[in-house]
Amino acid sequence: MTWRQALIDAGAVPVAFVPNPAAARGSKEDTEPADRAAFVEGAELEAHPVPDRGGARIPPAVSFLAGFARWGVVACDGIIQVVDAYVAAAVRRRDGRGVLHTRFERNRAFAVAPLERMTPGLRHVLEASVSDIEPIDGGLAGQPARYLDTVESTVRRVRAGLERELAEQCIATLGAEEWLVLDGLLSRSPTVARHPRALGVINSHGTQFLEGRGLERALTLPAGHRTSVFAVRGGHTRTEVYSWYLRLWPWEGNDLLYGLLRVEARPDPASVALASELSGWLVAERAPLATPATRWDRLLYPLHNVEEYLKARAPRDLSTARHRLPVAS
Amino acid sequence: MIDKATPSPTAIGRVVATELKPATPHQFHFWTATETTVGIGAIVKVQGAGSTEQGAARVVYGVVTDGFAYSDLATPLHDVVGAEGDPARAADAPTARQEIRYWTAAVLRQTPEEPLQPVPLGQVFLADDADVAQALRMDAFLYSATPTAIPIGLYTSAGREAPVYLDADFLIGPEAAHLNISGVSGLATKTSAVEFLLASIFAHFPPHKGRVAAVCFNVKGPDLCFLDQPGNLSDEDRRRYDRLVVPAQPFERVKLYAPLKADGVNLNTLRTHPDLVGDVEPLTWGLQEVVDYAEVLLNRDDIDAKADAFIDFLRDRVLGRTFDDGFGGTHRVQSFADLDRLFRSIFDGLEITAGGRSDTWRTHHIATMRKVRNRLLNISTRCKGLVTDDGPASDLPWTEFEDRTVYVIDIANVDPLGQDLVFARVVSKLREQLERRELGVDAVVVFVDELNKYAPGDGPDTYVKKMLLDISERGRYLGLVLFGAEQFRSQVHRRVVGNAGTQVFGRMDMDELATPGYQVLTPATKSKLATLPIGELMVRHPHFTQPIFVRFPKPPVLRGRDGVERFPPAADVPFDDAVVRQLVRLDRRIRPNQVKDLIADREQDDVRRALAATRRTRPDDPLAYFRKVLGSRVAAEVPPAAPREHRAVQPLNPISDEPY
Ligand SMILES: Nc1ncnc2c1ncn2[C@@H]1O[C@H](COP(=O)(O)OP(=O)(O)OP(=O)(O)O)[C@@H](O)[C@H]1O
Ligand SMILES: [Mg+2]
Repeated sequence: MTWRQALIDAGAVPVAFVPNPAAARGSKEDTEPADRAAFVEGAELEAHPVPDRGGARIPPAVSFLAGFARWGVVACDGIIQVVDAYVAAAVRRRDGRGVLHTRFERNRAFAVAPLERMTPGLRHVLEASVSDIEPIDGGLAGQPARYLDTVESTVRRVRAGLERELAEQCIATLGAEEWLVLDGLLSRSPTVARHPRALGVINSHGTQFLEGRGLERALTLPAGHRTSVFAVRGGHTRTEVYSWYLRLWPWEGNDLLYGLLRVEARPDPASVALASELSGWLVAERAPLATPATRWDRLLYPLHNVEEYLKARAPRDLSTARHRLPVAS
Repeated sequence: MIDKATPSPTAIGRVVATELKPATPHQFHFWTATETTVGIGAIVKVQGAGSTEQGAARVVYGVVTDGFAYSDLATPLHDVVGAEGDPARAADAPTARQEIRYWTAAVLRQTPEEPLQPVPLGQVFLADDADVAQALRMDAFLYSATPTAIPIGLYTSAGREAPVYLDADFLIGPEAAHLNISGVSGLATKTSAVEFLLASIFAHFPPHKGRVAAVCFNVKGPDLCFLDQPGNLSDEDRRRYDRLVVPAQPFERVKLYAPLKADGVNLNTLRTHPDLVGDVEPLTWGLQEVVDYAEVLLNRDDIDAKADAFIDFLRDRVLGRTFDDGFGGTHRVQSFADLDRLFRSIFDGLEITAGGRSDTWRTHHIATMRKVRNRLLNISTRCKGLVTDDGPASDLPWTEFEDRTVYVIDIANVDPLGQDLVFARVVSKLREQLERRELGVDAVVVFVDELNKYAPGDGPDTYVKKMLLDISERGRYLGLVLFGAEQFRSQVHRRVVGNAGTQVFGRMDMDELATPGYQVLTPATKSKLATLPIGELMVRHPHFTQPIFVRFPKPPVLRGRDGVERFPPAADVPFDDAVVRQLVRLDRRIRPNQVKDLIADREQDDVRRALAATRRTRPDDPLAYFRKVLGSRVAAEVPPAAPREHRAVQPLNPISDEPY
C-alpha cells in the first residue's frame, strides 16, 4: 500500500494536483539573480562563426548528466497539502559506437509536508509510512499558491543537490580524454566548475547577463555562431564560470531564443581558446534531433536521452490527474 | 536423443504489453538487445517474472513470427533535418538513437493449459532441447512407454540445435496421416526431404505399430533410381544424422520395378548400368490388369455410364471365358490380339449379317463399343512394354511386401495414360490388400512426386484424382499413407492437401505465397519462406500449434543426377542379348549361347510370350521351362491362325479425332 493510500484510509482527503509542466519549466533554475557579465574575450560581445559539422572535433568519450523531477499534491489534511515528490539524475556515457550507457544514477522519493501543522493522527500515519519527509514552512499553509511555489523550489533544490552530487562523483572518475556535459549550470559545484573537461549547457534563458548592444548581438546571433566569452557568477556558491551563447538553428522565422544555448566552462583562458572548437562540437550534436521533445531546437539529443531514461524509470504518475482536463504540454 | 541441458539462466528478452499491443493467450510481444540471436522461427520460453508475482508459475512457449526495429525518431523528416538533407552526413551523428528490437511471438503452449490466460509479462529465454520438446508437445509421444517419435530434422534457430519429432500416430495413422511438401524446383529439396523422412521412418517406426514399407513412384528422370546407393555426405550432415539417431546409410532393401521398352525386352529405366540393372524387376501387365482399371482410360476425358457397362460386360462375361459372338464365332479372349479379333467379328457381323441395319449388339451401342475398343487397344500401343499384347503380368509381390523396404516404380518414361494406369492399379491394389490385411506389412507410405499432375485443383475428376482423394480421406485407417510433393500447393486439389496431417514447405515462390492458402502466415514468415536456404523446411504438424522451421541432412542416398553419372545407363542391347540377360537373372548357370541358339529364328512375339511365362512361373529350371513354352521349332513355324497384320493392333481411328 502506498503512503498516500494509508493517509486516505486514515481520513485524509484524496486530491490530485500536478503543476503545469510549462509553468514549472519557466521557473526552472535560471532565474537566479546574477551579476552582469564581464567580457574576457575582446572588449565587446561579438559573433564568431564556429566550425561546421565537417570540421568539428567530437571528443571520443563524453558523459552526459541530466536530472528529472516530478511532484504532485496527493492528499489534504484540512488545508494542509501533502506532496509526493520524486527526483532523479543520471550520467550516461557515450561509447565508441555512439550508444549511451548509464554510469551513475540516483533518485529520491519523498514527501513534502509541514508536519507540525498536521493533525496528530495523520502525521503519525505519514511518519510511519514514509521515511523520507522534506519539511516545509508551515506558515505558508494558509496561502496555497505560495505554498505550492515553495514546494516547487524545494523539489528543485533537492534535484539540484542530486545533480551536483552526481556531477562530482562523475568528475572524480572521469577518464583522461573524457568530457562531462551537464544539463544546466556548471557553477553549482565549484569542483565541477573548475574541471577542464566539464561543460554546462543551459537552454532556458531566465537570467540575463547582458544588456544593450551585447544583448542584442546575443539574441540575434546567426545560426552556427557563438558570442564572445564572458565571465559570470552563479549558483548558490557564486562560483565564477566562463560562458558564451551559441545558436544551433536559425532563429529567423521562429523566435529570439530559438536554437539558443548558453554554454558554461571553467573560468580559464583555455576556455576562451577552446570556445570555437567546443561550439563546433556542440553544433555537431544537433543530429540526431531531440524530437519529439518540444524544445528540440536547443536540447542536445544525449541529454534528452538521459531525461527519457529517467522518465522511463520513474515511478508511475504520482497522482492520477484524470479528474482534470488534460494540459497540453 | 534429447539433451537435458541445464536451462539457460540468462534472459534474452522481456515481454511487454501495451493497450494497443497487449499480450493475449495466443500472442505476445517482447524486446531484446539490439544484438541478439533471436530471429523469425526462434522458439522462446516466457516465465512469469518474480516468484511473488501472480502468474509466476505459468510457463509459456512461443515461436517468433515477426520482428520490428525502430528508434525514437518521430518522423523520417527529422532525420533529414538532422543530416541537413545529406544522407552521407546522417551517419556522422555522434549519438546513436535509442533503438529497439521488438518481436512478436505466437504461443505454442502454455503450462498450465487451464485456465487459458494472457501471456505473463515475464522474462524471455531461448528454448533448449527440453523446452522445444515441451513447446511442440512432443513430450507426450517422445517420453511415453511406447514412443511414436519420428525425427524430421533439427530446430536450429538462435544458435540452438534441438531434434524435432513427428508423431507416427499422426503421420502414418490412425489419428491423422499423410504428408504434403511443396516448394520451388531445385531449392525446396522436396524429393530429398521425403527420402530422408523415409529413412527416418524406417529407423524409428515404433515396433508396436508393426511393419512398414514404402512405394515410390519415380516420375522424373533418374530421381529415385539409386536409393540403395550411398551418396556423399558432409561431416556436418553425418553429425546431424547422429543427433537424430538415423543411420546415415542408403536403404538396405530397395526393389525397383520398371516397365519394358517397346521391344518388350529392354527395361524402360535409367538404371540400366550393367552393375545395377540386375535387380530391376520388369513391370508388365496384360489385358486382365488393364481391363480391371479401364475406367482410368475412359475417365480421363469423360464419364460415360454406357462405356462402364460395356467394360463390366467384357470383364465379367468375355475375358478368360469361351464366348460366342452371336455371329457364329467362338472366342476365348486372353490378349489384346484376341480382343481385337472379337471386336472385328462383332463389327463385321453387324455389317454383314445384320446388313448394317442394327447398330446395337447385346444392348451395347456400336459407338460405345468402338470407343472402348479404341481406348483399350490404344493403351496397348502407347504403353507397349508396360502393357504386353498378350503377355501375362510381371507384377509387384502383392501378398509379400517386406518390412522397411522401398518399392520404387519407375514410370518416368511411360506415356501419361500409362502412368495413370500404373498409379491407379498400384494404389488400388495396395488398398485392397491392406483392407484384407494381406499385403505383408501394416502400413505403406506411397510417395507421389509432382502431385499437381495427378490431383490437380482444376480439370476433370479423373479416376486417379478420385482415388487420391479417397486415400487422403480414408487411408489413415488402413495404413495407406500418401506423401505428396509438388511445386505449387495451390495447384493441387484442396482436399488432397487439406487432408495431409503434416505439411512441409521448402523455399517458396512469392507468387504462390500471395495465394489465399498462405494468409495465416505473417509477412515475416512468408519472406523467410521465400528465402529459405537449401536443407531448411517449415513444418506444420497436428501437435505443433504453429509452423516450425527445421533443418534436415542431405538424404543418405545417391542423388539421381549423380547416379546416372556414376552408373551411366547402358545402351539398349539387341533382342537376343536382352532375352539372355533376363533368363540369366532367373538362373545364373544359363549360358548365353544356349539361349541364342534356341531363339535364333523364332518370332519375337513368341519369344516374348515364353519369356513372360517363365518370369511369371519362376520354375526351378528356367531354361527348360522356357524351351518348353517356346515349343518345338516345327510348331512355331505353323502359321498363326490370324493374319499376320492383325497381330499389331492399331486403333481404328486416331484417338484424338474420335467423334464420341
Ligand atoms: N538437406 C540438404 N542440405 C543441403 N542440400 C540439400 C539437402 N537436401 C537436398 N539438397 C540438395 O538440394 C538440391 C535439390 O533437391 P531436390 O531435388 O530434393 O529438390 P526438389 O524440390 O525435389 O526439386 P524438383 O522440384 O526439381 O524436383 C539437390 O541438389 C540436393 O542435393
Ligand atoms: Mg523433386
